[in-house]
Amino acid sequence: MLGYYLQLGFRNLRRSPVLTALIILTLAVGVAASMSTLTVLYMMSGDPIPQKSARLLTLKLDNYPLDFNDTEEKLPSILTWTDVRNLREDGKGLRRTGLYGISGIVYPNKEGVKNFFADGVAVDADFFAMMDAPFVAGGAWTAAEDRSEARVAVIAKPLAEKLFGKESAIGRNLRMDSEEFRVVGVLDEWKPTPKFYRMDSGSSAGSDADDIFIPLSAALAAHRDVSGNTSCFSNADPGFEGLMRSECIWLRYWVELGSASERAEYRDYLSAYVQRQKQLGRLPRPDKSGLYNVREWLQEIEVVDDDTRLQTWLAFGFLSVCLVNTIGLLLAKFTARTAEIGVRRALGATRAQIFLQYLSEAAALGLVGSIIGVAGAFGMLHLLAKQSPDLEQYARMDPTMLATTVVLSVLAAVIAGLLPTLRATQVVPALQLKSQ
Amino acid sequence: MEIRPILSALRHNMTGALLIATQVALTLAIISNSASVIRDRLAVAQRDSGIDAESRIITQRPILFSQIDLANLIQTDLDALRAIPGVESVTITNQVPMGRSGWSSTFATERVPTAPSQSAGLYFDGGRLLETFGLKIVEGRGFRDDEIVNIDPKVQNPPPNGVLLTRRLAEALFPGQSQFVGRIFYQGNSPDAEEMRIVGVIERFTTPWAQTGPDNEYAVVFPARYLNPFNHYVVRAAPGAEAEVRKAMEAALEKNEPGRVSVGQYSVQEMRDRRYRGERALAWLLVSVTVFLLGVTASGIVGMASLWVNLRRKQIGVRRALGATRGDIVRYFLTENLLITSAGIAIGVLAAWGLNGVLMSELSVPRLPLDYLLVGVLLMLLLGVIAVLGPALRAAQLSPALATRSV
Repeated sequence: MLGYYLQLGFRNLRRSPVLTALIILTLAVGVAASMSTLTVLYMMSGDPIPQKSARLLTLKLDNYPLDFNDTEEKLPSILTWTDVRNLREDGKGLRRTGLYGISGIVYPNKEGVKNFFADGVAVDADFFAMMDAPFVAGGAWTAAEDRSEARVAVIAKPLAEKLFGKESAIGRNLRMDSEEFRVVGVLDEWKPTPKFYRMDSGSSAGSDADDIFIPLSAALAAHRDVSGNTSCFSNADPGFEGLMRSECIWLRYWVELGSASERAEYRDYLSAYVQRQKQLGRLPRPDKSGLYNVREWLQEIEVVDDDTRLQTWLAFGFLSVCLVNTIGLLLAKFTARTAEIGVRRALGATRAQIFLQYLSEAAALGLVGSIIGVAGAFGMLHLLAKQSPDLEQYARMDPTMLATTVVLSVLAAVIAGLLPTLRATQVVPALQLKSQ
Repeated sequence: MEIRPILSALRHNMTGALLIATQVALTLAIISNSASVIRDRLAVAQRDSGIDAESRIITQRPILFSQIDLANLIQTDLDALRAIPGVESVTITNQVPMGRSGWSSTFATERVPTAPSQSAGLYFDGGRLLETFGLKIVEGRGFRDDEIVNIDPKVQNPPPNGVLLTRRLAEALFPGQSQFVGRIFYQGNSPDAEEMRIVGVIERFTTPWAQTGPDNEYAVVFPARYLNPFNHYVVRAAPGAEAEVRKAMEAALEKNEPGRVSVGQYSVQEMRDRRYRGERALAWLLVSVTVFLLGVTASGIVGMASLWVNLRRKQIGVRRALGATRGDIVRYFLTENLLITSAGIAIGVLAAWGLNGVLMSELSVPRLPLDYLLVGVLLMLLLGVIAVLGPALRAAQLSPALATRSV
């Protein structure tokens, strides 16, 4: 019966075409606006590494001087080399990596390719396994190469193709600034969204994929400048050596635990570490250190900004107006058919049948509206991505959001159809028949 | 116009009237708040940077890795850039306004940890910075060429001496004062913070981040060339010469050191466009939401009014037969609509304030100005009248004979 009612519903779309078109358009516009902004919000707050986000942890330490008059509510999200070195040496957790941003000029050894500027990160060998970074060729360097400050590199596939074309990049040399690195691995398309492992609060620099990964030990040995924030609260000695010895903060640290349940244990270790450092005269302020898994980290650095939230709120306000409007239009559409309902009721249709039939018609409108709505949402996302390159990585619809869009618009149509349908079931057959 | 019969008719048609009123209320709440956000964001995007001709200030950022003798290379580059026809002035600095990344430091007036400190953008003037950007000095003077020193980060930390700062920062550091030249302040508030003396006050100079708050005009300028690989050359082109100067800059820098890599060439105007892209995008999104909302609400009113006219064909016929003029019929529908819209507006004003309260506490949204609400109210009234006019005029065209025909 429901199938027949739906069929009727689709056929009835052609009646009062102006009203039908208005209803469908209202629904479609409301759905397009709300779903495109919701998609951006959803992608922004998405989990970039769902399989292990609960046991991948990063941390914050408070190394401000005792008398520091901090006006910021939050601790900075970067660490000193002293702390990162100690944490690495202590070796707690399954895997661990220190990390800082680097950049340099790449000198391609190839006709027709100009020198260019590339961004990268200095990490430890564990990084790739921790982040589940996929390799197309080769693999990570070894822990021994970390210790020997070896000049090796893992590069992204686009860079490998740019430098070496179709030939294998493994074993080839990559010249960055005045150093030669031996390529040991090529990463497949890998673009965690957002780029959580080096993202910072309020920074928009996290959208491009990193091209070059080199050992942290080698980067430090070569005194590679920091690409990214460096903050000092007291004077540091000049030069890179001075930076490494100072209380300036500029690195990140990630640790992978065997299971999320080991977190309490790691928390205890971290507290003990802070206490040990206090005995050495460092970290003079009360222990405010924080431990965050990936999801908590994304919240801590506020990946979802206020403007995105504002957009989503307003878009849903817009959808609610569209819904109210659809109720009114459906009311008008159904009221025009009062006589027909009277006849059907007189011929024996129950209220329940009328209810089902008209709700099916509302659902049919919702289905058509959803098709146009989905197209509209894609269009809006395209516009959003064009407006701002920072948004581009988020303005993409995935299957979940696509299904949600369709369900939302049908649901919206059905909810909007409830009141008009109920009104339709209230038609008194005798009155209608008399007036004909 | 007698309102009582309209009210009693409305009581029989509560649902439709409620729907329209709700729609008007929601629309008013959303568009008045949107309008205020739009104005706020567009105003932020148009703030004065202190630079007089943003489209003529061209910046280029070559990475100076390969050279050992940086100081010499920089001087050669600057001389080459200055020699380009159409170039009025040239400088080298560590960061550019609205360039979205750069240096900041904290400044205080006392070397005690409890002293209040201000965070400010830290610019290096490699000579002729004021002239190149077209900044105005309101007190004191700019740097002389012989004051500019080279700072090698590998040897020593920046030695500050006489510096420039913006008027906004000076006012924040020395509240209630109006004369700043000669005053002493410190880089940081720790006991060993470096001392610096103000030699000049710049009227206005925005930071690389161009923050939303007043601190977007907090900047300090040091007389120095910082010898690291990441610097910006800034060139002031004569009016009309921008395109040729841009091409000549690339060529001149390439000639001084072949194969050199540059991270792009932008005018300050382009920097501004990139910096405020988010603000503009949000504003345009809200503009389109507002336009669509008005359209949707108008279509709702048209639909509902048409429905009522259809339902009341007979009554209209009877009224016309009993002597009501066409004007009476039109007036009836207009008054009815005005009543419903006004009820919606009354709720809408409260909803707008409520929504604004929530948005202010949850998100960075400004307080809703009263005049915006007022304009919103008038707009909704006007929208209601215009939307209902069509159906009302059609109702007035109905023939009195209808009353007799279908009884």
